[in-house]
This record gives sequence, structure tokens and C-alpha cells, in this order.
Amino acid sequence: MKLCDVAKVMRSKNAGPLKLTLDLMFEDEATWQKAVQAPTLSPSAIAPLYGLQKEQVEVIPYRPALAIKVVMDRITVSGSPGDRDVYGAQQHAPLLETEI
Amino acid sequence: MSAIGKLRDRLKGARRPLRALSGSGQLGYGVPVKAFDAGLARDPDFIGADMGSTDVGPYYLGAGELATAEEMTRRDLQRLLRGARKLDVPLLIGSAGTGGAAPHLEQTLAHVRDIAREDGMRFRMATIRADIPRDVARKAVRDGRMHTMGGPLGPLTEEEVDGCSQLVGQMGTEAFIRALEQDVDVVIAGRACDTAIYASIPEMLGYPVGPAMHMAKIVECASICCIPGGRDAMLATLDGDGFVLDSMNPDRHATPMSVAAHSLYEQADPFTVIEPGGRLSLREARYEKVDDHRTRVFGATWEPATQPTVKLEGATLVGQRAILVAGTSDPRFIGRIKENLEEVKATVADLVGGEGTEDYVLEFRVYGVDAVVQWGGAPATPPREAFIMGEVIAPSMARARTVAKTTKQFLLHHGFPGRLSTGGNLAFPFTPPELEAGPAYRFSVYHVMEADDLPALFPVEIEEF
Repeated sequence: MKLCDVAKVMRSKNAGPLKLTLDLMFEDEATWQKAVQAPTLSPSAIAPLYGLQKEQVEVIPYRPALAIKVVMDRITVSGSPGDRDVYGAQQHAPLLETEI
Repeated sequence: MSAIGKLRDRLKGARRPLRALSGSGQLGYGVPVKAFDAGLARDPDFIGADMGSTDVGPYYLGAGELATAEEMTRRDLQRLLRGARKLDVPLLIGSAGTGGAAPHLEQTLAHVRDIAREDGMRFRMATIRADIPRDVARKAVRDGRMHTMGGPLGPLTEEEVDGCSQLVGQMGTEAFIRALEQDVDVVIAGRACDTAIYASIPEMLGYPVGPAMHMAKIVECASICCIPGGRDAMLATLDGDGFVLDSMNPDRHATPMSVAAHSLYEQADPFTVIEPGGRLSLREARYEKVDDHRTRVFGATWEPATQPTVKLEGATLVGQRAILVAGTSDPRFIGRIKENLEEVKATVADLVGGEGTEDYVLEFRVYGVDAVVQWGGAPATPPREAFIMGEVIAPSMARARTVAKTTKQFLLHHGFPGRLSTGGNLAFPFTPPELEAGPAYRFSVYHVMEADDLPALFPVEIEEF
């Protein structure tokens, strides 16, 4: 199944000007479990979608909100010349079609 | 007696739950009146509001400007001041004027003084500056006490410290408590941790820091932690071990799930929050339903730091920015858009430069293709139309304008293999299509500094009305 069909929330945002964070949230425990175990949501699978090395990506399951947090380095400091998304609010798109 | 003095007196002897009203998570964008008034009717012990963020990018910090409109900023400040003075409770405002540096604080204080005069208000106010002296930052760099925060910004240099137009530090509860101890009614702080606004009074009055800090972390965003989230005022009632969250808009509900989800928001780590005076652990935090509208949170723990640290933020001018806006609907032009733009860049460099080294940067973002996300490759199906934004950053606006105007003309008439539309490659939505965006900044400092003397970094001044 595709992430965009089963996730309740898929959002991205800066966590400070140097980091980008994506929150993936799910409706129920079973789907969350499936997502947590999905190899497509590992740092090594996510990194190339964002032009990063796997060491620059961290994936943190967060049970209290049935969520998975993905934290990654920004390629450009927020708002510096060359940046595309100062708030980082539109960087969820590369993950929408991810199969879990 | 001051508002903080009265609060201390009321709580003397019998400890009771403390009610904190969050008036706004972004003061200056509008405070919804109905919910704020509902909050005042709940007899809060103090009122807080946050004004700042780095979300808005480096411009506002660097240029010393507010991100919010002047009229709305003033209206919001007036609403909060009137509310707090009517109830005679402390009002704490953090990160004054978006950036929290001297010019932001001054502009905020100018509004406060005007409002106080107009309304004939009487109060005692503490202001706390957050500008970090350059020699202190330089010394920390030299002594190896300035640390990187990861990502694309490397170790700080003394040159970068000197080069930024504004340099601030995020103050913590220590500074607010020092201000409150001056027996005041209102505290207006420069750049501050969001949490310090709401955690300082509980900490000062001896409530456990863990739950107080967790409460502060959540309520500083007002009703964003609710479902549906919003900007309405939020009431938190801190009972010592935990706190109850209660949105002042009856249609926004704080549920265990919505509140837990908020712990993720804009955080790199959902379990740990680093503050100047220590570390907040949310590993054992629990979220329990009180009723359909309210949630109780408890279990957060606090570990004081042995070495206080301050997060520094600085912005540096990089030049003057002009932009060019244009659209295209030509499939052949879109089909080789990257090549077209590269060719035009080279043409422009020849025409405006000629010396080999360019003193400007010209970048294009092609909306419809890859302007928003750095996709790996070309789209599966080319877009029917595309929007092209050319961005020029140059040492002067005259220079930026020269590059933008030249780019406009040569992009419009760029000849490429297979071209059909020889009348022009671009659709301009209006003219002039080159616009002056003003000075461009970058965050040059976002580092953590070890600090021994916090009072020296965040001095308190008193003013009476």
C-alpha cells in the first residue's frame, strides 16, 4: 500500500534552519507497525529521495502518536541563496508514493 | 504591589494549581478575541505570548524588521496588555518583534509605550536584551566553546561572528526569573526560548520543572496541539506533577493523540528537548483523556545541565536581490528548459560581466518541474505550463537590476533547436517583470555556546508607566 493512502498526516517542517523533519502519522496500530517495519522507510531508502547520505537521515518511531519521525539535514540552510522551501513545509512529496 | 508580587502572595502557604493562559503562539498575526476573552474569564495566574521564530528565514533577523504587520502587532499587544492589566496578572512576552534583537525589541517597546500612554495604564515593566556581544562570541569560538548543530552549517569562525548584522542568543527561564524578581507586571524579552515564557513563573514559585517545561513546550503554540489545531488561546493548569490542557475555543479539542502528536512538531527529537538550563525528557510522558475537550499530561522529567548553554542566531547580508517572473506554455521550450536556462546564464554572464569572475549569482527555479523539491530526475510527463523565477543576488541593487533586465530580454528571445515560437519564449504576467526584493540575508550563526555568566548576556532593564 502507498503511504499517501494509509497515512493520516504526512507533514514536513523545519526543525530549526539546519534540519528538516517529516512526521508520518497513522490511524491505527497495525498500519503504524507495518510502516515502522517497512524497509522503504529506512534511512538508506529515504536518503536518496532527498539527495542525502543515509547518515544524514534518522527515522524515529513514536508510539504515543502512532507516528514515525524522519529527521534529515537540510541541503541548504533555510532561506540562504539557493533554498527552495524556507519553512520546509513542502518536502513531504517525495514520500507520498512510497510503498509499505 | 506588582502583579508577580500578588501572585506570590496568593500562592503563599497553600500550593494550588497554577493557571497559565497562552494568548498567542505568534503575536502580531492576530489574536482571536473570543477565545482570549474566554481565557481571561477563567482567571489565569499569568498570561504569555511568543512573538518570534527562525521559521520565517534570516531576513527579519538580519534586517531588524518585524515579520508581522505593524497595525496587527500593535492591536495584539494592546489586547494582551489590556487583558493582563485588567486582571492585574503578570504578562510575559518572548522573542519580541520576530527576531528578538535590539531593533526588534525597540520597535515592540515603542508600541508598548504608545499603548500604555494612550490607555493611561500604570505598570512596571522589565525588558531583557538578547544581543550577544561579539567579543563574547569570538572568545567562545577561540576557546572551543562554540558548537555546531549539524546539517549544512559548519564550525563558526570569528569572521562570521563579526560579519553578521544581528547576533542574538535564546535566553531561558533564568533571565525571566531574574526579571520577575524585580517585582514587575510585564516582561518583554528579546530572543527567548519559547518554553521560558511559560516555565519561568512555575519554576520561580517552586513547581517541578519537568512538567512545567513540558507544559510550556505545548502551550507556547496556543491551540495548535488540538484537533482541529488553531491559533486560539489555550489554558494550561499545572498541578505539580502534570497539567491539564484546555482550549479556549470550544470547537478545538486537546485529545491524548493530538497532544502527543504535537510533541513531534518542529522537533528533531520527540523524546528530548534541550534547554539552556537542562534537558527535558519526554520518555515517560503520558497523555490521559480528562473529557472530550481536555487532556492531562504528566511524567516529563528534568535534568539540570552542569554547563549552561545558549543557542545563538545570526544573520549576514549577502547582497541585493532582484527577481524575474515569467511563465511559459511552449512544450519545446519546456522540453529543454534546463539547457535553455544554462545557455541564457552564459549569455548574460558574457554581456554583463565580461571579466570572467561574476560578482552576482543568477539562479532559476522552474515551478512545475523542480522548483519546490529537488527531485532526482525529470518529471514523467512534462508540465503543460511552467513558471520561471529568476533570482539575482548582486552587490548593489543597480547591479542586480542590470542582470535581471538582461536576463529577461535574452530569455525571452533565446533561440534553441526546433523553436517554433519565435515571437518570444515567455509570458509576463505584468511589467516590469523584474522586481526588487531588497536585501538578501543568510543565517550565518546557528550554534550553541557554552556560557558561564548568563546575567551578563541577558541584562534586565526596568521601566515604569
